[in-house]
Amino acid sequence: MNTTTTLAAPEKTHLKIGFVPLADAAPLVAAKLLEFGHAHGLTLELSRQPSWAALRDKLLSGELDAAHSLYGLVYGVQLGLGGPQTDMAVLMVLNRNGQAISLSNRLADALATHGTLPRALATLERKPVFAQTFPTGTHAMWLYYWLASQGVHPLRDIESVVIPPPQMVSALAQDRLDGLCVGEPWPGLAERRGVGRTIIRSGEIWPDHPEKVLACRRDFVARHPNTARALVQTMLEACRWLDGEGNRREIAQWLARPEMLDVDGELIAERLEADAAASAPGMKFFEEGRVNYPRESEGVWFLTQFERWGMLARRGDYSEIAQGLNQTALYREAAEAMGVEVPREFADPVFVDGRTWDGLDAAGYVEAFAIKADRERT
Amino acid sequence: MLRVLLVTDTDKPIGDLRDALARLGYDMLAEPATPQALHRVVERERPDVIIIDTESPSRDTLEQLAVMNAAAPRPVLMFSPDANQQLIRSAVNAGVTAYLVEGLASERIAPILEVALARFAQEAQLRERLTQAENELAERKLIDRAKRLLMEQQKISEPAAYAMLRKRAMNQSLKLAEVARQIVEATQAPRRHE
Repeated sequence: MNTTTTLAAPEKTHLKIGFVPLADAAPLVAAKLLEFGHAHGLTLELSRQPSWAALRDKLLSGELDAAHSLYGLVYGVQLGLGGPQTDMAVLMVLNRNGQAISLSNRLADALATHGTLPRALATLERKPVFAQTFPTGTHAMWLYYWLASQGVHPLRDIESVVIPPPQMVSALAQDRLDGLCVGEPWPGLAERRGVGRTIIRSGEIWPDHPEKVLACRRDFVARHPNTARALVQTMLEACRWLDGEGNRREIAQWLARPEMLDVDGELIAERLEADAAASAPGMKFFEEGRVNYPRESEGVWFLTQFERWGMLARRGDYSEIAQGLNQTALYREAAEAMGVEVPREFADPVFVDGRTWDGLDAAGYVEAFAIKADRERT
Repeated sequence: MLRVLLVTDTDKPIGDLRDALARLGYDMLAEPATPQALHRVVERERPDVIIIDTESPSRDTLEQLAVMNAAAPRPVLMFSPDANQQLIRSAVNAGVTAYLVEGLASERIAPILEVALARFAQEAQLRERLTQAENELAERKLIDRAKRLLMEQQKISEPAAYAMLRKRAMNQSLKLAEVARQIVEATQAPRRHE
């Protein structure tokens, strides 16, 4: 592999990068602290966002050049779901796993007593309320997939609300929520405060699922291809650094600060460090590059779920949409320049309900789900 | 008459916008206390327009409704191809975000946006002055810290440390505060493990 290629200089050198304070913002925080951008001709400016909606708006208005984003959010904007349509780009995957579904103590006890989720929910004697983070986001998809795998219809049997993650734990404590799906460290905090229990980790729903991606508008890539590639190189370096001995513990202390997560650094460190004893794969950032390739079939999966839950009418061009979004050629260039291997083969994921997604027949895949939106909704 | 929901859950003192809009004859809905209550109010009270601080953490709650409930208001953004683009652009710049129900002509919310804009813009100016004052103070503190660090590390006097800072700033054509920040951050940053 030729790692000495001289690449053209970035067209734009000062970049404003948006993020939402979560444990998986670690690659961005590391990239800024250690100024990994400088070696690639970039200066990064991190900009914390109060909501995913604000992050989206600023990406679209050009106030942000790129952002740490929920995988599904980027696809939602591409399709214009619930808001303006804009052509988007997924530059790379920033992390896999590291999210979880927690239940209130009452519901977790009921589940232990009654054995199945539908029976446990029936003990509430009202419509259960579950919180997630964004309508087209990853947490909504993990939550709905898991509920359906347990025989609960997410559009009929529960009320699905969005609550800002920092407010979820107190809502659970005040009995205003029965369950939630969110990124670390919030499920960890719920458990530590004794107000809820983690019932399943996202890595058990879809082992090594893609979670946050590095996203920007597609015209940004078209106008600044060298900048976009340099940014991927920078973030690959940050992800690689996070796999170094003791480095996640260090970054956890930065994430713990009041202007970031304002949560105990030890708790964040626990949730960032791979737990070898855990039953499910934990947060992954690099793993010799196996984390970061923006595989198109993973993007198509989100489209199948949008269709499944009635947000999108069936269309036959899911692969083309994913090919337009996921910048695989740019990623390969950046990875090659960094000496990072792109996996030659990918195993098809097997989900919590035993189904396999091979990326081929989207319509057949959606059709075979017993629990999905009514046809008239779509 | 348009039903308007005003959400003021950030620290911007824009509560009196409610009275201003009520005086214009809009039907102002009671403001919910939590994002979860916000979800319920939008589903039950069916507002035509929601006005919210762009920086409000509750915005994602409204996004959920916009995607999952066809009757709920959707976000209006400044690049919508619309005659009111300039007004909407000003609103976004001032930090106002509006959500509108489908089919509502955007010129009907022009008066609402104008009033909101006036209130937010006033507030934005005030904040800008405050932020500026705070930044100046923070910069002075940063420069002092960098000076002390240099004095300790290089065993030099205060004037010598200050001169060193100024020289570096000139050589790198950076603001003094920026050079100070680099020095302070360099001593704080985690060690780089290769």
